[in-house]
Amino acid sequence: MITRRLIVASAPLVVLAPSLALAGPAPAFTAKDIDGKTRSLAEFKGKTVVLEWVNEGCPYVKKHYSGNMQGLQQAATADGVVWLSVASSAPGKQGYFADGGQARTWINAKGAKPTTLLLDSEGVVATAYKAKTTPHMFVIDPAGQVVYQGAIDDRPSNKVEDIAGAKNYVAAALSDLKAGRKVAVPASQPYGCAVKYKDA
Amino acid sequence: MLLRRLFAAVLAPLALLAVGAPARAEVVKTGHIEVELVAQEAAAVPGSTVFVALRQKIQTHWHTYWRNPGDAGDATKIVWTLPPGWTAGDIVWPTPERVRVGPLQDYAYNGEVLLPVPITVPATARPGESVTLKAAAAFLVCEEICVPEDAVVTLTLPIVAGPAKPDPKWGETVATVLAKAPKPAGLKAVWTRDGQAVKLSVTGAALKGGDFAGAYFFPYSGQVIDHAAPQAIERGPDGLTLTLTSGFAFGPEATEPVKELVGVVATKGGDYEITAVEGAPLPGSVGLGSLPAAGAGSTGGASSSSGGAAASGLAGGLPVALLFAFLGGLILNLMPCVFPVLSMKAASLAAHAHDAGKTRVQGLAFLVGVVATFLALAGLLIAVRAGGAAVGWGFQLQSPAVVAVLSLLMLLVALNLSGVFEVGAAAQGAAGRVSGGSGLAGAFLTGALAVIVAAPCTAPFMAGALGFALTQPPVFALAVFLALALGFAAPFVILAFVPGLLRKLPRPGPWMDVLKHALAFPMYGAAAWLVWVFSQQAGGVALALLLAAAVLVAFAAWAYGLGETRRFAGKTPLVAFGFALAGLVSGVALTVGALKVPTPAASGSQTAEAGSGLASEPWSPERVAALQAEGKVVMVDFTADWCVTCKVNEKTALGGARLAEAFKAQNAVLLKADWTKRDAAIAAALAEHGRAGVPLYLVYPKGSSAPVILPQLLTEGLVIEAVEKAAKG
Repeated sequence: MITRRLIVASAPLVVLAPSLALAGPAPAFTAKDIDGKTRSLAEFKGKTVVLEWVNEGCPYVKKHYSGNMQGLQQAATADGVVWLSVASSAPGKQGYFADGGQARTWINAKGAKPTTLLLDSEGVVATAYKAKTTPHMFVIDPAGQVVYQGAIDDRPSNKVEDIAGAKNYVAAALSDLKAGRKVAVPASQPYGCAVKYKDA
Repeated sequence: MLLRRLFAAVLAPLALLAVGAPARAEVVKTGHIEVELVAQEAAAVPGSTVFVALRQKIQTHWHTYWRNPGDAGDATKIVWTLPPGWTAGDIVWPTPERVRVGPLQDYAYNGEVLLPVPITVPATARPGESVTLKAAAAFLVCEEICVPEDAVVTLTLPIVAGPAKPDPKWGETVATVLAKAPKPAGLKAVWTRDGQAVKLSVTGAALKGGDFAGAYFFPYSGQVIDHAAPQAIERGPDGLTLTLTSGFAFGPEATEPVKELVGVVATKGGDYEITAVEGAPLPGSVGLGSLPAAGAGSTGGASSSSGGAAASGLAGGLPVALLFAFLGGLILNLMPCVFPVLSMKAASLAAHAHDAGKTRVQGLAFLVGVVATFLALAGLLIAVRAGGAAVGWGFQLQSPAVVAVLSLLMLLVALNLSGVFEVGAAAQGAAGRVSGGSGLAGAFLTGALAVIVAAPCTAPFMAGALGFALTQPPVFALAVFLALALGFAAPFVILAFVPGLLRKLPRPGPWMDVLKHALAFPMYGAAAWLVWVFSQQAGGVALALLLAAAVLVAFAAWAYGLGETRRFAGKTPLVAFGFALAGLVSGVALTVGALKVPTPAASGSQTAEAGSGLASEPWSPERVAALQAEGKVVMVDFTADWCVTCKVNEKTALGGARLAEAFKAQNAVLLKADWTKRDAAIAAALAEHGRAGVPLYLVYPKGSSAPVILPQLLTEGLVIEAVEKAAKG
């Protein structure tokens, strides 16, 4: 008993896992999309990929789905960018999609325009990317490098009226990429609701 | 009657107006929170500052957020609408709780929280009038889900000329919140980067001698640290060092370099605001060993105080530690370490077995010897640690000088048992001195010696208790050592006090001399072992000198015995005593010489054989991390040459060919942390696992940084099983 206590007490001490050390190769993943197809990051090699963590019930997600997110998705996909929304809410938690149909219904209701949405209720993709919030955005360049990670913009709020004056980091990163420039702001602190990981 | 009611209704408000209306506020319910504005003082005084707090009463299991919400969430925001001339300052944020959400960690508030804001009252405010302060508060409140809520709350305060009285309802609460809120305390703080880690060292008068169990750094910026990573704590005499895990502000993604780390260092003694600049670690911020990192934050409603309990490494605190120490002391009697010394005690018991009174007095003298020595060693240990040196239990045997002296002492005891000389015993018989007098001293010394030589090994139960003791204030620590001493002495004391047990021994007779002579050999063995330990510490040349000293001391003992015999035979003992003295003096001189021989360079860097089969590498935390990164199972053997238990384990459990095969098959590596000589890194690692001494065996499972702790007494099967299990991850 005592030994077990000691192990528990000391367990967190030796965790040397790097934090947010994602500047570099994007972690590979595979996940089912809303059509039941298995998608992997590898299949999009040579293309720019945006990952967007989503939870339809989160006020911060709702704020950006007032039109902002859909607009970004449309512009990006029209430019040949692969936009993957990722739903990592565990079963029973806010934002959980039981199947692709449920997700599609929400996408259609919102008029969202992602390439597809990945069902990640086990939190595998979220864990690989250390996704913290909804929304939490990642931009991966055609070479498979994470070139942006963090918030969608520089106004951490849940008020729609704040979108107008905000600087959108994802739009900026995509246009930097398109112009062949170095991404000016490669990281920011994500804001929003916590990703609803399954209980340990 | 009616008239009186009418008067009351009309006049009462008028009367109030005359002296200024009392503070008025209303509570707004926003769904999950009740919000209101409360003031520290019942009135505003022109030209002064009044603290007005936004009070949130939060539904159970829900929380609102600190200025840096951590991994997710959003801080409460207040927008004030005030009359011209009135200004509001920044929120004085109370220290938040750490709330764990899956792999994420937030900094948040549970239950009731008051966020005080200083409101400056202009000098032109007119006494007799009143003021209405209006605040639009927006806050995110989360449980499993998050809900943004807002409220517009107002507070009307009378303006008075004189000093304002505290608000009768909230004055004290606001004052307490302000008093407890983190403040700068003139602390010195620096940070330095070490790969992914950022070491934050903080010192100052406010932290001197503080209790740092559960200490934690809350950064104001959400970008500088990985909030969810534990913060390893190292204690120093003047402060502490926290090992943080860097956030992306330190990474290649950062747009500008980090200059300052600003935030709150929360300790049991108080919470302080610090601004750390980059620089060399501060002296006084390390040296007293480490503490387990504050426990992972609570989930939901519970407070983060659980971190404190985890930090002590022992559930149940002092009472449990005392019990475990007593049990540990008892078990210590069975550890291989103690075996040689016990023969001394056995010999003495046998001698007095049929004299109940004498046995009891001797038993008590032994107890006093054990207790006094334990407390003396513990006191010394605590004092040395307070001085900043990283030492642990068993430190006395880390000094070659102590080992040399002990080995000679053991030799003398052995020679005494062999009958080469008698101390006082002859005198006792001849001169008829008070019986038991010298026996008492003997029993006391036996107890003392048993503790000094044997106690450095830790036994089951004892390990946890000692680890706990050394994180506690001195009085508690000494209480734990006292319990340990009582447990250790208990078997012999009980033996001495239970009649009949000893009566089972045969009557005194010649057999006793035979037994005594036989029991001399374990003592020779103990002396030989200590000499070997000394040779490991001081090298071959010093060993030769010590062996020569041993011969001279033996000669002196023999000459002394000869002198005593001559004295009782009525002959002059002077020549013999002269030889004895000469032998002793030259023996001591040689010992001093042995200690002056320069120590050969440590041989720890080469791969050592742990026995016939398994090779081990020297331990370092970096090596553990590197091997783990390669996907290997890592076992660490914390050992010392003076720890017989360790050596027995290494021989019986870690030395076999079967184990070597198992390690090879499971892709496992054995690392050896040798504590024979003092080593701060090893002492810190022991402390990390709640230990103050060796042996300690850790097995790190594949892909997990949380080691499994093996028992102090190993068997080969047990180790193989642990390694096989670890390989499965």
